[in-house]
Amino acid sequence: MRRVTPDTIAVVDLAVCDRCGLCLPLCPPEAIHLELNVLTVDEGTCTGCEKCIAPCPVGALAMTLLAPAAHA
Amino acid sequence: MPDVDVLVVGAGPAGAVAAREARRAAPELDVVLLERDPAVGSPVRCAEGVGDAGLREFANPDGADWAARRITRVIFQAPDDTEVLVAERGIGWVLDRTRFDAHLAAEAAREGAEVRVGAEATAMTRNGGADGRWHVQVKERDREETYRARIVIGADGVETMVGRWAGLDTRVPSRDMESCAQYVLEGIAFDPDAIYLQFGDAIAPGGYAWIFPKAVGVANVGLGLVALKTDGRNARQYLDAWIARRFPNGARTGFTVGGVIVHTTIKKTYAGGVMVAGDAAHMINPLSGGGIINAMKAGRLAACTAAAAIREGDTSERRLAAYHLAWMELLGEDHLKYYRIKQALEHMDDAFLNSLARTVNKIPQQKRSIGRIFTHALIKHPQLIPVAARFFV
Repeated sequence: MRRVTPDTIAVVDLAVCDRCGLCLPLCPPEAIHLELNVLTVDEGTCTGCEKCIAPCPVGALAMTLLAPAAHA
Repeated sequence: MPDVDVLVVGAGPAGAVAAREARRAAPELDVVLLERDPAVGSPVRCAEGVGDAGLREFANPDGADWAARRITRVIFQAPDDTEVLVAERGIGWVLDRTRFDAHLAAEAAREGAEVRVGAEATAMTRNGGADGRWHVQVKERDREETYRARIVIGADGVETMVGRWAGLDTRVPSRDMESCAQYVLEGIAFDPDAIYLQFGDAIAPGGYAWIFPKAVGVANVGLGLVALKTDGRNARQYLDAWIARRFPNGARTGFTVGGVIVHTTIKKTYAGGVMVAGDAAHMINPLSGGGIINAMKAGRLAACTAAAAIREGDTSERRLAAYHLAWMELLGEDHLKYYRIKQALEHMDDAFLNSLARTVNKIPQQKRSIGRIFTHALIKHPQLIPVAARFFV
């Protein structure tokens, strides 16, 4: 899937995340995974679309700049 | 490598009923019910309300320890706090989901299904279909096993992975996702026989706030909202603001969050050897956000389809399409209608809701049924006519 923003991706703060799984079906490229009670965002798959950010009931997701290496 | 006939992933209401009904329909089948969490029924991610008639199709609430409270009234609250009381007989129940889910899983076990807790499906493939079975990786504490299953029933909730692994599209647009937060509040004053629903753009934009009694003075107090319509605060922050106004002295003894998909059933709920049920298939009433009864009805349909398909020796995609058709006929088509109503109602603002509440309060209380309110509202508020028209299209 094409990147929506050129240089940002979603990251989860696991100290805040409640593992409710709400963000999984919101992710167009299905980059978010919930396994063994840990939520992860796949850096290579996330397109930076931000669709997961606002709906999080506790604000556990945020956008961050891609590391330069991953960006290239 | 355990060989099973039916592997059910997720021991919520959809999965537990599916496991129970599969054994009832075909006692010769090996049925395994997997629960990711260490205990069935926990954590609770739910307001726990159900209708009486739907519940009784699956379990008898009279005197049951999993039925927290019988509800006989619904109180709608307009944005300006105008209350509209709607009383009907035997309206519903607020459950204790921790006990209710455990009760259903125990019934599945009594029928002969094997229930495994702390067992999480982590991957699933159908290796070229050589043996026609799904190979499901399951992590259970310190060991990992591959289950071979003729049929997998995905009852793994809003975050369903079974659906993804089977190649089904379980994604949802953000406008149809309700972000929910809920506290258990103790020591608060309210009518313990009523559920309360309050609407308003400043309270829960795109959704509503609720009070669902669990005992006298104790209730699930929460709200669901659509993030696209908010002022930037998240669901928890909206809820904190509402509670600060309504119940500043309530003791918060529990907190939960979750997503409720207020859309329509996914386009395809089945694949070869797979069916998805309940929240995983978006089988939620898009107007009310209710999903428990729907999930159990879908679980029962999936189980009956699975039992018949295995007996016939045909678990192909074509055979399992019967499940989807049966669901659409039972409730899926209704949800399409409800979704159209939801879309029409989205245009009603706070001022309109306030005036509607005042109009409805002019109907004598004993005559105030939902149908009558709707009829009355149509006469007094012609702007609702397009809503009604869309419902019958």
